[in-house]
Amino acid sequence: MIGYMCKYAPLEVLEAMGADLVRISPQVNDFSRADALMHPNMCSFTKAVLEDPAVKEMDGIILTSCCDSVRRLYDVLVRMYPDKFIYMLDVPRKVNDFSSRLFRERIQEMTREYGEFSGTTFDEAKLKDLLARREEAARLKGAPRQEGALRVGLTGARCSKSILNLLEDHHVEILFDMSCTGLARRLPVDPDNLMSSYAWAILNQVPCMRMVNASGRDRYIDGFRDRLDGIICHTVKFCDMYSFEYAHLKEDAHLPVLQVETDMTAQSEGQIRTRVEAFLESLGEPKHKKKVIHRRGDKKMYVLGVDSGSTSTNAVILDEDRNIVAFDVVRTGAKSGVSAQKVLDDVLEKAHLKKEDLTAIVATGYGRVSIPYADENVTEISCHGKGAHFFNPDVRTILDIGGQDSKAIRLNEKGEVADFVMNDKCAAGTGRFLEMMARTLEIDVSELGPISEQWKEDIEITSMCTVFAESEVISLIAQNKEKADIAHGLHKAIANKACSLLKKVGTQDVLMMTGGVAKNEGVVRAVEEHTGKKLYICEEPEIVGAVGAAVYALEEL
Amino acid sequence: MDYVKTYGNLIKKTMDGHPVAARRMVNFGLAEESFRIGHFPPKEMPQALKVLDSQSLANVNAALKNPQSSCWTNIFAPVELMQCFDLRCVSMECLASFLSGFKIEDALVNEAEAEGIAPTLCSYHKSFIGGTGSSILPDARLYVTTSLACDGNINTFRYVGERRGVPGFVIDIPDQYSQEALDYLVAQERELIGFLQERTGVRFDIDRLRETIRRENASRACYRRYLGEIRHRYYPKTLTLEMFLLFATHLDIGTKQTLDFFRLLEEDVKKYPERKGKAIFWVHMLPYYQQTLQEYMNYKEDYYIQACDMNLDYMEKMDADHPLQALARKMILNTYNGSYDRKIRNVARMVSYLGSDAVINFCHWGCKQSSGGVMLLKEEMRKRGIPMLVLDGDALDRRNSHDGQIRTRLEAFLEMIDTMGESK
Repeated sequence: MIGYMCKYAPLEVLEAMGADLVRISPQVNDFSRADALMHPNMCSFTKAVLEDPAVKEMDGIILTSCCDSVRRLYDVLVRMYPDKFIYMLDVPRKVNDFSSRLFRERIQEMTREYGEFSGTTFDEAKLKDLLARREEAARLKGAPRQEGALRVGLTGARCSKSILNLLEDHHVEILFDMSCTGLARRLPVDPDNLMSSYAWAILNQVPCMRMVNASGRDRYIDGFRDRLDGIICHTVKFCDMYSFEYAHLKEDAHLPVLQVETDMTAQSEGQIRTRVEAFLESLGEPKHKKKVIHRRGDKKMYVLGVDSGSTSTNAVILDEDRNIVAFDVVRTGAKSGVSAQKVLDDVLEKAHLKKEDLTAIVATGYGRVSIPYADENVTEISCHGKGAHFFNPDVRTILDIGGQDSKAIRLNEKGEVADFVMNDKCAAGTGRFLEMMARTLEIDVSELGPISEQWKEDIEITSMCTVFAESEVISLIAQNKEKADIAHGLHKAIANKACSLLKKVGTQDVLMMTGGVAKNEGVVRAVEEHTGKKLYICEEPEIVGAVGAAVYALEEL
Repeated sequence: MDYVKTYGNLIKKTMDGHPVAARRMVNFGLAEESFRIGHFPPKEMPQALKVLDSQSLANVNAALKNPQSSCWTNIFAPVELMQCFDLRCVSMECLASFLSGFKIEDALVNEAEAEGIAPTLCSYHKSFIGGTGSSILPDARLYVTTSLACDGNINTFRYVGERRGVPGFVIDIPDQYSQEALDYLVAQERELIGFLQERTGVRFDIDRLRETIRRENASRACYRRYLGEIRHRYYPKTLTLEMFLLFATHLDIGTKQTLDFFRLLEEDVKKYPERKGKAIFWVHMLPYYQQTLQEYMNYKEDYYIQACDMNLDYMEKMDADHPLQALARKMILNTYNGSYDRKIRNVARMVSYLGSDAVINFCHWGCKQSSGGVMLLKEEMRKRGIPMLVLDGDALDRRNSHDGQIRTRLEAFLEMIDTMGESK
């Protein structure tokens, strides 16, 4: 079995030589081995290859000179597995006669070496036959259309199965998958000039971002433009190439574009779910599993919104006239289900209601899928939009800094999400960051805001990485700096990070801040100074998501 | 008071809305620094390095003031060709470094990230994207870049070129050497010459290129003799000055000015005493601003930077009679191209030749080609009994390096090599 990872690998040649080919698609739990063999700051895909147990079982791997991380992966693999067929195929980045000739030579060199390794020989007739059969099969294949479904295109680096599965669960039609090995191979060849035309055809596929001329990607997307609702651009942590594609599409594609980043671990799935579902909601996803909820006679109706976040679980009860009847905020413990039950009990008690009095319940937040009593779940992005619109219909931009997330959301005049961005996986710029720093300063996180008001010396915390920043704060403590000044520096750092998120969606009037961190006056002031805009903050900024969920519940009726 | 920081903050405020004024402030700052080094240099600074420092600053300033005669490149581009068209090459890495010298790299990196560029991309690239996007850097006439060493070049230059409307040319360097690879590269050089002729209106003169290559060979011969001297002499330097050497070994190689510098360097080094301290061989970028490293290594004889592998990436004599083939060979056989083994062999050879006491490899944020092989290099050095320290950080963006972590690692390493020296 020979593993491969790149569409520029000459798979058909190897198949014609009898090789059993398998695409390497690792999903791992950690990178402890890879970090020691390479470096933590390498592309997550290449690190995952080093961790993948399936690789050990392979007889060899065909790598291509597609990027720097893969070049180094080859250097490590070749030492790890001296008895396997670890081969680096040099693929030109240009498509012309010279590059095609060079590539043909490289393929022939590879067949010689694979022949020596496997004891097989290469027969052009077999390749010709195989390519002809593949071409015929591709011609006959046609995907059935799904009526009424959203249609998205996938671009970027190799897409993990979890994204494809998620889209399938939502009955989304994937019009194309332009990520690494996603497109079907169409390699038309000239049987009389087989190897040259084969080399040319491989180089001439829809280009990836490593190629010098990548404009073919735009042309490919253009072919679907009239049917396309949006584009999902998938990037892999520490593979930077496709962030350029994202930046380009965001600016020039004139279509809704979502960026999702994964690091090949199962742990990143939660974040992907929120982003993808919020994107589908913003595209107007038809609700397939909508629960039919009916009014109960003339009795006054109440609905519940529950926001199960990483730090707090919040609940709000609205009546049918959109009045807040009661709300509650509890700390999310080790089990989100327990906190969800507690917040339900507490809010019902405050409202003097029973669960049976609730006509509909909508859950949101990270734990939304684990709330057993909810009728529906909607992402916190959409709920924050609804919630913000509920409190102030003039709000057009939201900055939400929660426990493990920070996000910037742009709304249209109806309170619907027009665009959003979220922080990446690390805790930089989130409530968790402030909590850790407060612990280092030996104060409660609620004291950070008031203390920072007394700052005198303008200290700059340069590291936004939580780990680095903690060391920096420890150094400042060692230098006998005042807590007030350190806290002020931390707030400026968090505001800096938040404003870069805001810049990505474009800061429009009126700007609202939500989430637990909005209660920290120091952060609020720092954001206001940075943006030059006054922030709108409602009385209980933590419950905006839950209010939005409750508004959704009312709209369901 | 940190005057540079205050000045940098002023530039940051100005560039938001008044990029041309901010650009003038950068020009003024560079001219000031060039004047300062030319007239009031630090007393420890060797004569040859004063000349290099002052000239390099003046060259960059001239490129920024006359963008229409300048060409954006990366550090490994075949500048010899652009010189034949009277274009002043200014590399993306050097522009980013100079802007970082004003302590404004954070604003530029933020600017690039706000456009959607990955935070994990190399900070040189992000600063260049932010610098051009905010118009603090004027648009060059054109750009010429290569895929050598860094896979980010193609995307960064293409992105900036499209955003700014700057035309450009990309040279794809094959990973492995062969006749077909050479032919492919020479064909690209010919295409580049056509592009440059068309864009500049200057006719290509191959004899001029041959002269450039001859000067390059003469420069490298002086450099080799200088390396022979530093095997046993201590030549004072700073992290910044070792970085400045990249102007001579890369960006300005082949010019008369650079040949004069190398001649001076060869003579200058002979004035310095026999070495006594620990000679460190540096691998990859140098975080010139890093406080602890400056404290221990800038003009300090006890531990000093003897050489950096980036300045030793190609040392062969080039065939001036066949200049295009010679340039193609230089690019394919560069130690930063191809398998990491090439780099390992080069470091091992140079450490052995120079008699270095230790190796420090700096893993610069976002640089996969370098960081990805560092454990392989460490293993090879271990086999050879050469102590090696791996430092993680950022050669440009101060926010990604932590002084406390670097200090602990460096001090422990220096203690270790001292102990090893005593027990020998």
